[in-house]
Amino acid sequence: MLELRELVKHYPMVYGEPVRAVDSVSLSVARGELLAIYGPSGSGKTTLLMLIAALLRPDAGEVLVDGRNVSELSARHAARYRMRELGFVRQAVNLMPGGDALDNAALKLMGGDMGAREARGRIRPLLGRLGLQERSAHRPEQLSMGERQRVMLARALSTEPKLVLADEPTGNLDTQRGGEVLCLLQEICRERGAAVVLVTHDPHAASYADRVQALRDGRLVEYEPSCALAPVNGR
Amino acid sequence: MKLSSIVRLYRVRLRARIMQELFAVLGISIGLALLFASQVSSTSLGGSVEQLSNGLVGHMRFQLTARDTHGFDERLLSRVESIPGVKAAAPVLEASANVIGSAGARSVELLGTEPRFARLSGEQVRNFGVAKLAQAKALMLPASIARAIGRSSLQSVEVQIGGRVAPALLVPELPGEVPASLASGPIAIAPLAYAQTLAGMKGRLSSIFVRSSPAHDREVLEGLTRIAAGRLNVRPANFDGTLFNRAAQPIDQSTGLFSAISALVGFLFAFNALLLSVPQRRHLIEDLRLDGYTRRMIVEVLFVDALVLGVVSSVIGLLFGDLLSLALFDANPGYLSFAFPIGAHRIITWSSVALCIAGGMLAACIGVLAPLRGAIFSTRETFFRTPGRRRGNGNYWLLAGAALCMAATLLILALSPAAAITGVLSLTAALLLLLPVLIDTVALGFARLQGRIAGASPYLAVIELRARVNRARSLAVAATGAIAVFGSVAIETSHGDLLEGLNRVASGLNRTSDLWVSPSGLANSLATTPFDGSSASAKIAKLPGVKAVRLYRGSFLDIGDRRAWVIAPPRDVEAPLPPDQLVEGSLTAAVSRFHAGGWVIISRAVASDRHLRVGDSFLLPSPRPTVLRVAALSTNFGWPPGAIVLNAEDYARAWGSADPSALEVDLRPGVSPVLAARELRSALGPRSPLRVQTALAREQEFRATARQGLSRLTQISILVLIAAVLAMAAMMGAMIWQRRPRLADMKVDGFDRGVLWRTLLWESGLLLGSGCSLGAAFGLLGQTLLSRALVTVTGFPVAFSPGLLIAVGSFTLVSLTAIVIIAIPGGFATRVRPALSLRD
Repeated sequence: MLELRELVKHYPMVYGEPVRAVDSVSLSVARGELLAIYGPSGSGKTTLLMLIAALLRPDAGEVLVDGRNVSELSARHAARYRMRELGFVRQAVNLMPGGDALDNAALKLMGGDMGAREARGRIRPLLGRLGLQERSAHRPEQLSMGERQRVMLARALSTEPKLVLADEPTGNLDTQRGGEVLCLLQEICRERGAAVVLVTHDPHAASYADRVQALRDGRLVEYEPSCALAPVNGR
Repeated sequence: MKLSSIVRLYRVRLRARIMQELFAVLGISIGLALLFASQVSSTSLGGSVEQLSNGLVGHMRFQLTARDTHGFDERLLSRVESIPGVKAAAPVLEASANVIGSAGARSVELLGTEPRFARLSGEQVRNFGVAKLAQAKALMLPASIARAIGRSSLQSVEVQIGGRVAPALLVPELPGEVPASLASGPIAIAPLAYAQTLAGMKGRLSSIFVRSSPAHDREVLEGLTRIAAGRLNVRPANFDGTLFNRAAQPIDQSTGLFSAISALVGFLFAFNALLLSVPQRRHLIEDLRLDGYTRRMIVEVLFVDALVLGVVSSVIGLLFGDLLSLALFDANPGYLSFAFPIGAHRIITWSSVALCIAGGMLAACIGVLAPLRGAIFSTRETFFRTPGRRRGNGNYWLLAGAALCMAATLLILALSPAAAITGVLSLTAALLLLLPVLIDTVALGFARLQGRIAGASPYLAVIELRARVNRARSLAVAATGAIAVFGSVAIETSHGDLLEGLNRVASGLNRTSDLWVSPSGLANSLATTPFDGSSASAKIAKLPGVKAVRLYRGSFLDIGDRRAWVIAPPRDVEAPLPPDQLVEGSLTAAVSRFHAGGWVIISRAVASDRHLRVGDSFLLPSPRPTVLRVAALSTNFGWPPGAIVLNAEDYARAWGSADPSALEVDLRPGVSPVLAARELRSALGPRSPLRVQTALAREQEFRATARQGLSRLTQISILVLIAAVLAMAAMMGAMIWQRRPRLADMKVDGFDRGVLWRTLLWESGLLLGSGCSLGAAFGLLGQTLLSRALVTVTGFPVAFSPGLLIAVGSFTLVSLTAIVIIAIPGGFATRVRPALSLRD
């Protein structure tokens, strides 16, 4: 479903050598599979997700989604790809403060050809599935952090994407709540046959994945669960 | 994207930023209200003159007009009628009159005419029923004026024209038939013969209105020009409108300039308010882009923000502007009413409304979209890229930008002072670029001083000020203060300069003698109505305290499309013009040329119309056209269309009349002007049409009239100051309220309410102090720009004086009032429960 071929992304710096955020990364993810990419901060995880989401252009290599190279899409087609084929769950929970959980979850549907009323109606079952039925009329400030993250998850899954990218989705949650969110993500994506790429620096979160790979200094390396719990670079 | 979704998104987001949105609405509305109100008062003045003029002349095409109040022989009428192509000709006598009733007096334009004029002309004359009055010895006045002087139909009034007073009978006027716009026009209508008697002008006319047969305009015009023989004016029948528009132009220009600056200040308030919500909206854009929204969809979402903001602001601005124009910006023509009949009808044109709505929409679009243009239009690459390290220190770039803008401002000041609005824009840009540097410097300086100030509050205030996360908000608040003070200082000081300039004219022109005697009536405040002064002069000269009586002559003269004020002091007067009114040429040479005769001092605007320089000769279009030379160029002496100064003897020659328009009375040393004035009044008798004024009283009257004419500018400067204080307080209040979670955090850390409250005050004080002081300094530069623009564009006498006191006053008023107001929401905000911080 998703295939990365020799993907490279460097950031030029004013002083010194360019940063190799992603360096010759190749991997593939099958439909219904949850791949975790484990790595410490600054290892290039978020850049990798941006490349897959066609938000950044690689310096070299290809991002193939169902055989189509999305990194060559125009801005407009890339936007359509993100809207229809991709769900993006991010770490920072930027919910619209004035809207309730329904509005926030339906934001992506409203961006399609759906009217506001229809979009709110369509998102209700998913919110229920995520345990937010009773909280759907609550505003962000009335929701707990875990509930807010589930609203973001609902937004990402609202268009039934075939590929879901999750950037540290449990970064702000405790282990139990984080686990709940990941279980739901895993469950729903498996049901829908969607591929999931989860990037995390939390070995516990990585343990929910079907497969785990590690990213270090922009390069994919073999994931070793015992090393994951040790300090990075021996520090 | 469906409209319902866009609207839903708008509503949802509005809930979270209602305060900022209201504040932005307030800012744009204030600017629009000022623009609209000044537009309405300008169109009302010009429009009412035009309506009155059209109401009088109807479908007449041309007019043959006398160049002075003495008119011309009525036998010219038959010559005009005999011009081939003339379909009809109507004789008219016009004179400035004072109608006096039991409750007071009013200045009106007396129009003497005949039934044929009533048949051929506009509604004004037709509806006043002159035809019915043809044989009557009666005067018809608009009901509003009759009521104002305490008279009604069939009662008698006194009519004073020049030095003559005669009783007249009022006849019923039919308000139902008169259009509302004309009913209040200061016009009195009488049969021609009766008007000639009242004015003492038997057999004289002031104009002949002509209607030509189709396609004979050229022939008729040539015939009229032949008859005029260079001593009468031939021009379009409705030329008064053109003359008035020219006369009102400088006031409109100065009002327009001030309104534009006010609107700019209002817009910047709005812009700063919108800046407060930029981080929030940037997050939204980031989310939308991640979720696959296209650029177009994002612009649609934001455009609805701008649309709603623009529409709401425009509606409120128009309503508020309408109220302003009713309550404050009364279309007061000031001294222009001395030379033109101006109606009191308020005229709102569609173009004024359209201009304001377009301005509101543009301001809203710029305010909403401009701060986010980077987020909307940046490529995916630049928007989502992890930022690298910034090169060097950003403050150097800001300083360089500020220096560039300042240089542009100075260039405009030196080379093109008329482009004041552009100059103010570049000055504002310089101010805004300099502000972050100043705040950093103040924060750094204050941090170094902290050791000497007891308590945690100053320490916390500096930490908050230096926090990058608060930077955009802090800058927005300081910028609002800076712009508020900048706007009010620039407007107030340049307005002060203008008033001071007019005051100096009033003083310089009136203090040439101890007492002034001239025909009474408000319309004659500038002593422009001639009268037979021989008997009054003889009576006055006999009084014991009187040293000398000299003849002053003056009037209005149409030169091209300018109705110029002619000032003709006695030849032997020591200082014929206030020295600071000279803008080109030597004062000594100008005065000696004035005494020698054959020279005039003319306003720069009149000179530039005719491409005249000092020393050039030109033909003055007076009743007896006379060649004179330009002795020097002057300001317009406060009379917007321009002025001409020549000695009274040259005037008598060029006008072919020895009648004075005022008597200048010099008193013997030690004689009190007030007591002497009382003696003069009793010598002239209680029913005398002449009034006696001391030089000081006349100067005060001039000053009051000048102030009245510039009242719109005064009102604008006050409103900008009020708006500035309110905007500052609202902005700081909103910002403090947004800070509650952070205050809750600090409470958890053990800081008590008092410390937090004082921290807020310190922080506000530092921000406002920096912003307002910079605004005050730049306001003084703005004063230089605006004052020079007023001199260059309008030709008004402007006396530049450094407005330090006003700058300090505005700075203190805005910053202190804002801080006092901030103390209240600050107090409430510090009551926040610490639990707010602990909620996840």
